Amino acid sequence: MLRWSAVGLLFVVGLIDIYYGNFYAGFFENLWYMMGSIYIFTGAVIASNFEPRFAQPAVFGYAIFLFVLWATTAIGTGAGLDTVAYVDKAIEALLVVNMALLVRNSRRPSLLP
Amino acid sequence: MTQSTAKQWSTEKLLLAVGIAAIAAGAAVGVSVGYAVHYEAPTTRAFYLFNNSLPFDQHTWGIPHDTFSPDRITVNKGDKVVIYYRNIEDTTEAHTFTMDAPYTFDAVVHAGQNESFPIASTLHSASNVVVQVNQTATITFTATWAGVFRFYCAYHQPTMTGYLVVLG
Repeated sequence: MLRWSAVGLLFVVGLIDIYYGNFYAGFFENLWYMMGSIYIFTGAVIASNFEPRFAQPAVFGYAIFLFVLWATTAIGTGAGLDTVAYVDKAIEALLVVNMALLVRNSRRPSLLP
Repeated sequence: MTQSTAKQWSTEKLLLAVGIAAIAAGAAVGVSVGYAVHYEAPTTRAFYLFNNSLPFDQHTWGIPHDTFSPDRITVNKGDKVVIYYRNIEDTTEAHTFTMDAPYTFDAVVHAGQNESFPIASTLHSASNVVVQVNQTATITFTATWAGVFRFYCAYHQPTMTGYLVVLG
Protein backbone atom coordinates (compact mmCIF):
# COMPACT_ATOMS: atom_id res chain seq x y z
CA MET A 1 0.00 0.00 0.00
CA LEU A 2 2.75 2.46 0.97
CA ARG A 3 4.69 1.55 -2.15
CA TRP A 4 1.77 2.29 -4.46
CA SER A 5 0.90 5.55 -2.73
CA ALA A 6 4.56 6.54 -3.14
CA VAL A 7 4.39 5.65 -6.83
CA GLY A 8 1.23 7.76 -7.19
CA LEU A 9 2.81 10.74 -5.42
CA LEU A 10 6.00 10.40 -7.49
CA PHE A 11 4.05 10.48 -10.74
CA VAL A 12 1.87 13.40 -9.62
CA VAL A 13 4.78 15.51 -8.40
CA GLY A 14 6.75 14.62 -11.55
CA LEU A 15 3.94 15.73 -13.83
CA ILE A 16 3.44 18.95 -11.85
CA ASP A 17 7.16 19.72 -12.15
CA ILE A 18 7.01 19.30 -15.93
CA TYR A 19 3.80 21.35 -16.11
CA TYR A 20 5.43 24.06 -14.02
CA GLY A 21 8.49 24.15 -16.26
CA ASN A 22 6.27 24.50 -19.30
CA PHE A 23 3.69 27.03 -18.15
CA TYR A 24 5.51 29.06 -15.53
CA ALA A 25 8.50 29.64 -17.75
CA GLY A 26 11.02 32.30 -16.98
CA PHE A 27 13.28 30.63 -14.53
CA PHE A 28 15.26 27.45 -15.12
CA GLU A 29 12.42 25.65 -16.88
CA ASN A 30 14.85 22.95 -18.07
CA LEU A 31 15.69 22.18 -14.45
CA TRP A 32 12.00 21.65 -13.70
CA TYR A 33 11.72 19.30 -16.69
CA MET A 34 14.70 17.32 -15.40
CA MET A 35 13.39 17.14 -11.82
CA GLY A 36 9.98 15.98 -13.07
CA SER A 37 11.48 13.37 -15.37
CA ILE A 38 13.62 11.98 -12.56
CA TYR A 39 10.53 11.74 -10.33
CA ILE A 40 8.63 9.81 -12.99
CA PHE A 41 11.63 7.52 -13.55
CA THR A 42 11.97 6.87 -9.82
CA GLY A 43 8.23 6.20 -9.70
CA ALA A 44 8.79 3.39 -12.19
CA VAL A 45 11.76 2.11 -10.16
CA ILE A 46 9.74 2.06 -6.92
CA ALA A 47 6.81 0.41 -8.72
CA SER A 48 9.06 -2.36 -10.04
CA ASN A 49 10.57 -2.79 -6.56
CA PHE A 50 14.05 -2.74 -8.06
CA GLU A 51 16.78 -2.71 -5.40
CA PRO A 52 14.42 -1.34 -2.74
CA ARG A 53 17.11 -1.18 -0.03
CA PHE A 54 18.94 1.39 -2.13
CA ALA A 55 16.16 2.93 -4.23
CA GLN A 56 13.76 3.80 -1.42
CA PRO A 57 16.22 5.74 0.77
CA ALA A 58 17.57 7.40 -2.40
CA VAL A 59 14.10 8.66 -3.37
CA PHE A 60 13.53 9.77 0.22
CA GLY A 61 16.77 11.78 0.06
CA TYR A 62 16.01 13.13 -3.41
CA ALA A 63 12.62 14.47 -2.28
CA ILE A 64 14.17 16.18 0.77
CA PHE A 65 16.97 17.55 -1.40
CA LEU A 66 14.53 19.12 -3.87
CA PHE A 67 12.30 20.50 -1.13
CA VAL A 68 15.22 22.22 0.61
CA LEU A 69 16.64 23.35 -2.74
CA TRP A 70 13.31 24.99 -3.61
CA ALA A 71 12.97 26.60 -0.16
CA THR A 72 16.46 28.12 -0.17
CA THR A 73 16.25 29.22 -3.81
CA ALA A 74 12.84 30.78 -3.22
CA ILE A 75 14.09 32.69 -0.19
CA GLY A 76 17.19 33.84 -2.07
CA THR A 77 15.62 34.82 -5.39
CA GLY A 78 11.85 35.09 -5.00
CA ALA A 79 11.39 32.38 -7.66
CA GLY A 80 8.82 29.63 -7.25
CA LEU A 81 6.61 31.44 -4.76
CA ASP A 82 3.25 30.73 -6.33
CA THR A 83 0.28 28.42 -5.89
CA VAL A 84 1.43 25.68 -8.26
CA ALA A 85 4.83 25.49 -6.55
CA TYR A 86 3.18 25.42 -3.11
CA VAL A 87 0.93 22.52 -4.18
CA ASP A 88 3.92 20.75 -5.72
CA LYS A 89 5.96 21.12 -2.56
CA ALA A 90 3.08 20.08 -0.28
CA ILE A 91 2.82 16.85 -2.27
CA GLU A 92 6.59 16.51 -2.06
CA ALA A 93 6.39 16.81 1.75
CA LEU A 94 3.76 14.06 1.77
CA LEU A 95 6.08 12.01 -0.40
CA VAL A 96 8.93 12.40 2.11
CA VAL A 97 6.70 11.08 4.91
CA ASN A 98 5.42 8.28 2.65
CA MET A 99 8.96 7.27 1.70
CA ALA A 100 10.12 7.30 5.35
CA LEU A 101 7.28 4.94 6.28
CA LEU A 102 7.97 2.78 3.25
CA VAL A 103 11.68 2.49 4.09
CA ARG A 104 10.80 1.56 7.66
CA ASN A 105 8.27 -1.07 6.51
CA SER A 106 10.61 -2.52 3.92
CA ARG A 107 13.47 -2.95 6.40
CA ARG A 108 11.32 -4.44 9.15
CA PRO A 109 12.32 -8.09 9.70
CA SER A 110 9.83 -10.45 8.10
CA LEU A 111 7.64 -12.38 10.54
CA LEU A 112 7.24 -15.19 8.04
CA PRO A 113 9.41 -18.27 8.65
CA MET B 1 28.46 0.83 1.29
CA THR B 2 28.36 -2.96 1.38
CA GLN B 3 25.17 -4.82 2.15
CA SER B 4 26.57 -6.03 5.48
CA THR B 5 27.35 -2.43 6.50
CA ALA B 6 23.88 -1.32 5.44
CA LYS B 7 22.32 -4.05 7.57
CA GLN B 8 24.17 -2.77 10.61
CA TRP B 9 22.43 0.61 10.33
CA SER B 10 19.07 0.91 11.98
CA THR B 11 16.28 2.31 9.80
CA GLU B 12 16.10 5.46 11.89
CA LYS B 13 19.84 6.06 11.56
CA LEU B 14 19.68 5.49 7.83
CA LEU B 15 16.78 7.90 7.37
CA LEU B 16 18.48 10.46 9.60
CA ALA B 17 21.74 10.22 7.68
CA VAL B 18 20.05 10.44 4.28
CA GLY B 19 17.85 13.30 5.51
CA ILE B 20 20.75 15.34 6.88
CA ALA B 21 22.84 14.76 3.75
CA ALA B 22 19.90 15.77 1.54
CA ILE B 23 19.15 18.90 3.58
CA ALA B 24 22.81 19.94 3.52
CA ALA B 25 23.13 19.33 -0.22
CA GLY B 26 19.82 21.04 -1.01
CA ALA B 27 20.66 24.08 1.11
CA ALA B 28 24.16 24.36 -0.39
CA VAL B 29 22.86 24.26 -3.97
CA GLY B 30 19.90 26.52 -3.19
CA VAL B 31 22.01 29.17 -1.49
CA SER B 32 24.48 29.03 -4.38
CA VAL B 33 21.66 29.56 -6.88
CA GLY B 34 20.41 32.46 -4.75
CA TYR B 35 23.81 34.12 -5.02
CA ALA B 36 24.30 33.36 -8.70
CA VAL B 37 20.89 34.19 -10.10
CA HIS B 38 19.06 37.46 -10.04
CA TYR B 39 15.45 36.65 -10.65
CA GLU B 40 12.43 38.88 -10.93
CA ALA B 41 8.97 37.38 -10.79
CA PRO B 42 6.87 38.11 -13.88
CA THR B 43 5.10 41.42 -13.57
CA THR B 44 3.13 43.92 -15.64
CA ARG B 45 5.32 46.47 -17.39
CA ALA B 46 3.80 49.56 -18.97
CA PHE B 47 5.41 51.66 -21.70
CA TYR B 48 4.37 54.86 -23.45
CA LEU B 49 5.23 54.72 -27.13
CA PHE B 50 5.12 57.67 -29.54
CA ASN B 51 5.86 58.33 -33.16
CA ASN B 52 8.67 60.80 -33.73
CA SER B 53 9.88 62.78 -36.73
CA LEU B 54 13.55 63.48 -37.30
CA PRO B 55 14.37 66.94 -38.72
CA PHE B 56 15.28 66.08 -42.31
CA ASP B 57 13.51 66.18 -45.64
CA GLN B 58 12.42 62.63 -46.33
CA HIS B 59 12.05 63.31 -50.08
CA THR B 60 15.63 64.53 -50.35
CA TRP B 61 17.03 61.62 -48.36
CA GLY B 62 14.70 59.01 -49.84
CA ILE B 63 13.67 57.41 -46.52
CA PRO B 64 10.88 58.27 -44.09
CA HIS B 65 11.82 60.57 -41.24
CA ASP B 66 9.48 58.74 -38.84
CA THR B 67 10.79 56.72 -35.91
CA PHE B 68 9.47 55.22 -32.70
CA SER B 69 10.24 56.82 -29.38
CA PRO B 70 11.42 54.79 -27.57
CA ASP B 71 12.60 52.16 -30.05
CA ARG B 72 13.67 49.57 -27.46
CA ILE B 73 11.33 47.82 -25.05
CA THR B 74 13.07 45.50 -22.60
CA VAL B 75 11.16 43.06 -20.40
CA ASN B 76 11.70 39.74 -18.68
CA LYS B 77 10.28 36.54 -20.10
CA GLY B 78 6.83 35.97 -18.61
CA ASP B 79 6.07 39.66 -18.07
CA LYS B 80 2.76 41.12 -19.17
CA VAL B 81 3.51 44.05 -21.45
CA VAL B 82 1.18 47.04 -21.83
CA ILE B 83 2.06 49.62 -24.48
CA TYR B 84 0.19 52.91 -24.64
CA TYR B 85 0.84 53.96 -28.23
CA ARG B 86 -0.04 57.53 -29.14
CA ASN B 87 -0.07 58.95 -32.64
CA ILE B 88 1.05 62.53 -32.00
CA GLU B 89 1.44 63.51 -35.68
CA ASP B 90 0.78 67.13 -36.59
CA THR B 91 -0.24 65.98 -40.09
CA THR B 92 -2.96 63.46 -41.05
CA GLU B 93 -0.50 60.60 -41.18
CA ALA B 94 -1.54 57.24 -39.74
CA HIS B 95 0.92 54.76 -38.24
CA THR B 96 0.75 51.10 -37.42
CA PHE B 97 2.14 48.99 -34.63
CA THR B 98 3.04 45.70 -36.23
CA MET B 99 4.86 42.74 -34.71
CA ASP B 100 6.67 39.84 -36.29
CA ALA B 101 5.74 36.24 -35.44
CA PRO B 102 5.56 34.53 -33.02
CA TYR B 103 4.15 37.51 -31.14
CA THR B 104 0.57 38.72 -31.43
CA PHE B 105 -1.28 41.14 -29.20
CA ASP B 106 -4.64 42.46 -28.12
CA ALA B 107 -5.31 46.10 -28.88
CA VAL B 108 -7.93 48.65 -27.97
CA VAL B 109 -7.91 51.82 -30.06
CA HIS B 110 -9.37 54.92 -28.45
CA ALA B 111 -10.64 57.81 -30.57
CA GLY B 112 -8.68 60.45 -28.70
CA GLN B 113 -5.46 61.37 -26.96
CA ASN B 114 -5.88 59.03 -24.01
CA GLU B 115 -7.76 55.99 -22.73
CA SER B 116 -10.75 57.99 -21.47
CA PHE B 117 -11.96 58.55 -25.05
CA PRO B 118 -14.50 56.16 -26.63
CA ILE B 119 -13.27 52.89 -28.09
CA ALA B 120 -12.87 53.05 -31.87
CA SER B 121 -11.92 49.41 -32.41
CA THR B 122 -10.81 46.28 -30.57
CA LEU B 123 -8.48 43.58 -31.85
CA HIS B 124 -7.62 40.14 -30.47
CA SER B 125 -4.50 38.11 -31.28
CA ALA B 126 -3.59 40.64 -33.95
CA SER B 127 -0.19 41.34 -35.44
CA ASN B 128 -1.08 44.78 -36.78
CA VAL B 129 -3.05 47.76 -35.54
CA VAL B 130 -3.56 51.07 -37.37
CA VAL B 131 -3.54 54.21 -35.24
CA GLN B 132 -4.85 57.40 -36.83
CA VAL B 133 -3.75 60.89 -35.86
CA ASN B 134 -4.76 61.81 -32.31
CA GLN B 135 -5.70 58.24 -31.52
CA THR B 136 -4.34 56.05 -28.73
CA ALA B 137 -3.91 52.29 -28.87
CA THR B 138 -3.53 50.18 -25.74
CA ILE B 139 -1.58 47.10 -26.77
CA THR B 140 -1.21 44.12 -24.43
CA PHE B 141 0.57 40.79 -24.68
CA THR B 142 2.62 38.39 -22.59
CA ALA B 143 6.35 38.09 -23.28
CA THR B 144 6.26 34.33 -23.67
CA TRP B 145 9.35 33.90 -25.85
CA ALA B 146 12.84 35.14 -25.04
CA GLY B 147 14.83 36.91 -27.72
CA VAL B 148 14.86 40.10 -29.77
CA PHE B 149 11.70 40.76 -31.80
CA ARG B 150 10.97 43.51 -34.28
CA PHE B 151 8.01 45.86 -34.05
CA TYR B 152 7.45 48.44 -36.75
CA CYS B 153 5.15 50.77 -38.61
CA ALA B 154 4.14 49.07 -41.83
CA TYR B 155 3.80 52.48 -43.58
CA HIS B 156 7.21 53.90 -42.70
CA GLN B 157 9.89 51.36 -43.37
CA PRO B 158 12.74 50.95 -42.77
CA THR B 159 13.17 53.79 -40.28
CA MET B 160 10.13 53.36 -38.05
CA THR B 161 11.32 50.14 -36.43
CA GLY B 162 11.82 49.14 -32.82
CA TYR B 163 12.84 46.03 -30.98
CA LEU B 164 11.24 44.15 -28.13
CA VAL B 165 14.00 42.59 -26.03
CA VAL B 166 12.77 39.71 -23.89
CA LEU B 167 15.34 38.53 -21.37
CA GLY B 168 15.05 34.77 -20.86
